[in-house]
Amino acid sequence: MTERILQLRTWQFNRQHHALRKEDAITIDCYRDKSLPDHMRTALRLKTALEAETPVFAPGEIFACTRTQKELPMIYDDQEWADIRSTHYIHERGTVTNLSPDYGKVIGTGLFKLREQLGDSSYHQAMRISIDAVLDFAARYQGAAEEKGYEEIAHILKRVPAYPAASFREALQSLRILHYAMWCEGDYHNTLGRFDQYMMPYLQHDLENGVLDQQSAMELLEAFFLSCNRDSDLYFGMQQGDNGQSVVLGGMTPDGKNGYQLLSEMCLKASAELRLIDPKINLRVDKNTPPEIFQLGTQLTKLGLGFPQYENDDVAIPALMALGYSEEDARNYAMAACWEFIIPGKGMEIPNIGALPIANIVNAVIREKLADVQSMDQLMEHVRIRMMAYVREAAQTHRNLYTIPSPFMSLFFEDCLEQAKDITLGCRYNNFGMHGTGVATAADMLAAIEKTVLQGDLSVQTLFKALDNDFSGYEELQHRLQYACPKMGNDDEAADQYARMLLHMFAEAVRGQTNERGGIYRAGTGSAMYYIWHASELGATADGRKAGTPLPANYAPSLNIKLDGPVSLIKSFAKPDLREVINGGPLTIEFSDTVFRNDEAIAKVAALVKLFIDLGGHQLQLNTVNRDQLLDAQKHPEAYRNLIVRVWGWSGYFVELDKCYQDHIISRAELSL
Amino acid sequence: MNSGIVFDIKEFAIYDGPGIRTTVFMKGCPLRCQWCHNPEGLSKQPQLLFSRAACRNCGSCRQVCENEKCTACGKCVSHCPLGLRRIAGTAWTAQALAERLVKNKVAFDASNGGVTFSGGEPLLQWDFIEQVIAFLPEIHVAVETSGYADENLFLRMQNAVRLVMMDIKLADNTKHKRYTGVENVRILQNLNLLKLGNTPYIIRIPLIPGVNDDAENLENTAALLENPGPLVRVELLPYHQTAGAKYEMIGMNYRPDFHTDLAPQIILEPFQNRNFPVMVL
Repeated sequence: MTERILQLRTWQFNRQHHALRKEDAITIDCYRDKSLPDHMRTALRLKTALEAETPVFAPGEIFACTRTQKELPMIYDDQEWADIRSTHYIHERGTVTNLSPDYGKVIGTGLFKLREQLGDSSYHQAMRISIDAVLDFAARYQGAAEEKGYEEIAHILKRVPAYPAASFREALQSLRILHYAMWCEGDYHNTLGRFDQYMMPYLQHDLENGVLDQQSAMELLEAFFLSCNRDSDLYFGMQQGDNGQSVVLGGMTPDGKNGYQLLSEMCLKASAELRLIDPKINLRVDKNTPPEIFQLGTQLTKLGLGFPQYENDDVAIPALMALGYSEEDARNYAMAACWEFIIPGKGMEIPNIGALPIANIVNAVIREKLADVQSMDQLMEHVRIRMMAYVREAAQTHRNLYTIPSPFMSLFFEDCLEQAKDITLGCRYNNFGMHGTGVATAADMLAAIEKTVLQGDLSVQTLFKALDNDFSGYEELQHRLQYACPKMGNDDEAADQYARMLLHMFAEAVRGQTNERGGIYRAGTGSAMYYIWHASELGATADGRKAGTPLPANYAPSLNIKLDGPVSLIKSFAKPDLREVINGGPLTIEFSDTVFRNDEAIAKVAALVKLFIDLGGHQLQLNTVNRDQLLDAQKHPEAYRNLIVRVWGWSGYFVELDKCYQDHIISRAELSL
Repeated sequence: MNSGIVFDIKEFAIYDGPGIRTTVFMKGCPLRCQWCHNPEGLSKQPQLLFSRAACRNCGSCRQVCENEKCTACGKCVSHCPLGLRRIAGTAWTAQALAERLVKNKVAFDASNGGVTFSGGEPLLQWDFIEQVIAFLPEIHVAVETSGYADENLFLRMQNAVRLVMMDIKLADNTKHKRYTGVENVRILQNLNLLKLGNTPYIIRIPLIPGVNDDAENLENTAALLENPGPLVRVELLPYHQTAGAKYEMIGMNYRPDFHTDLAPQIILEPFQNRNFPVMVL
């Protein structure tokens, strides 16, 4: 880390940029005009939002653009929005979210060239207003930079984002403005995609022409990473830190080559040096990825940021192709905000439209049908029917979707400009994805039922009484269910077979379901915040879990079990056919921070990661935790302002989380290996 | 076939030999090292472990207990509503234990890892371990031992495994007796077997503040290793304050005769001067 980066990092760590934020809100005028089409209203609001910004600079600034406006009012008033909501399906906040824009195209073309292609249609006018707003904004920053003596910044802002970037620094500054403007358009969970792929040509050029050496390139990269953290607390998310700024490193290129390169490695190193929550690092790997790359990833894991999350090309690419993605596009996958597989520049997908509550469904079936069934097969058939019904019912609600148009974002997507069609109306891929919560807990319930009721002497009545009483007065039975029954995560077929069946049923349940845009549904193993929500609807369960115990986050073992160890865990979780659940959702393993004492230990953890990949795992994320530190941070938040933890698909500052999420992380830490 | 008493099986034991390894902790030890952090490994008999601190005295365990003195029958374990009780010490047949270990073979193969027998003192149950090893063909087996064993037995072990990790806790015999309860004569004889043999070995020294972390002891220890034969390296394991954590659970007192709050000195020179690879864990 150079002196200059250290200075910028300290400035941000101390939240000094917060003092530059303005107290007065953006005035609402032009864009609430009801006679205007909605795309025009979005464009005018972008213009208003950018005009309301005052250029500010950090001491030693490298990349310009800092938010000073805290709030962004909606383009609709409350009544209008309520009317729209009453007649449409609205996903989350109703704006564009979780997309992977094609930054490479816009950085390489420049906004001027795109502007020249615009015609006179109302939609193209909205695009033009958006482009002009961004160019005006850049010009104002350029003027201010000149005035304040930031000559290099001023010089660069004369060129980008108007013209094609000609250097690594220009490309990064262009990206910074483009990405910044997306947030000002009201879009959120704006991912950064395959950053190393679309940025490497610029770096390569500069290194070859002596414009940069590796050290100066690293300084630029780190300054850019820092800039991703500057405004992120203002971005919308379920929790502070859930802002979707993911990057994806390495992996196969669209033409089938290995995409891991110098910049991929620099990103891993920059993330390790800076220790910030953004950007969130994903690393694509496959069976041929050398151990050294896993070791570099593990060096990052050791720091406790929750990065990297690994994706397995060997599983993901064929799985995406099986869902109808072209080979070239499947090879080019990136990640949505958390773990969902999406295609840059070509997808208007909603990979988190809902969640199948697997544990709740299995619990409901046990309560309703167990007394009447003679075999596990019969019970599983009821589970299958219930799952199918749940998915169908959910899909029925996803009709008449409305998303607030985003003409600026649309510039980054295939054919939107050419066809004067907003991205929210669809793109090449229009699939919906569903998470699946609590598969391990569901498998544990089924394994426990099989052992104690169907094969054992436990009566259904006694079991239900125990569950109704939350095991009060039935402690020995709870102990038996919790500790003496097979558990998913211990490489025990008696439990693992049910996880395999449940995930296959989930995939079958979504197969054939289509949405109104001709897209399909994808099944996944992620949980998002549903692990908290679904658990709250669940009483005591047949796996010995007491009411109130959370479900595991993502694809992970139940929280109330004793694990045999990480090798068994990985073997268990690699057993289901994970190609069938490629909406994503990582196996999540917590390691105590004492594990990583030396390079040999790092190499061993890396070998464990590789094992999951080699066994057909789809996605993996490791956390390093120190339980005592987390408990202390709850008591003394002021002393842990910069303590970073992984929550579900993202990393955030521990002390900024709601207590239920903090508590969940602490109970996960108790399972740590 | 006789069975072995195991008090823990730990997957992914990082500091017990090369690659990804599963370590089997055999119950029973002839030494009584004051710094022992696995007190449940000392007795050969199964024992009840009980986390006293969280107990609410609800009495459920007493209601089911049929004995005046604890026999580690385990009946109370499932009656504790807080799950505070467990039995340390499970009898395994050689075949069942081998099957359990073979389950992780894919990880051993992928990382040049294997199985480590530790303890307690694994040599106390060597007949049983030999039977287990017979069921583990093509798996790299290592042993972690105090070295306190009969020479013939030690030699048998040395020929049956691919790596030996042996402690040399103190070079001085009097001090050794004082802090571990036994003399080091047999241990040093067995060290000679390691030096003269073909089996790679690692020497481990737990660094205990004020007991063996002085320059003199480390110099004398290093001297014992001269003409080291197939020595892989020397590993120093600094004492950790959490060593006493499990004593209360097993109804024992942790009263070591040294300053547990001091950090041990780490002196590498005696080993470095002799070109022995040395590392601190």
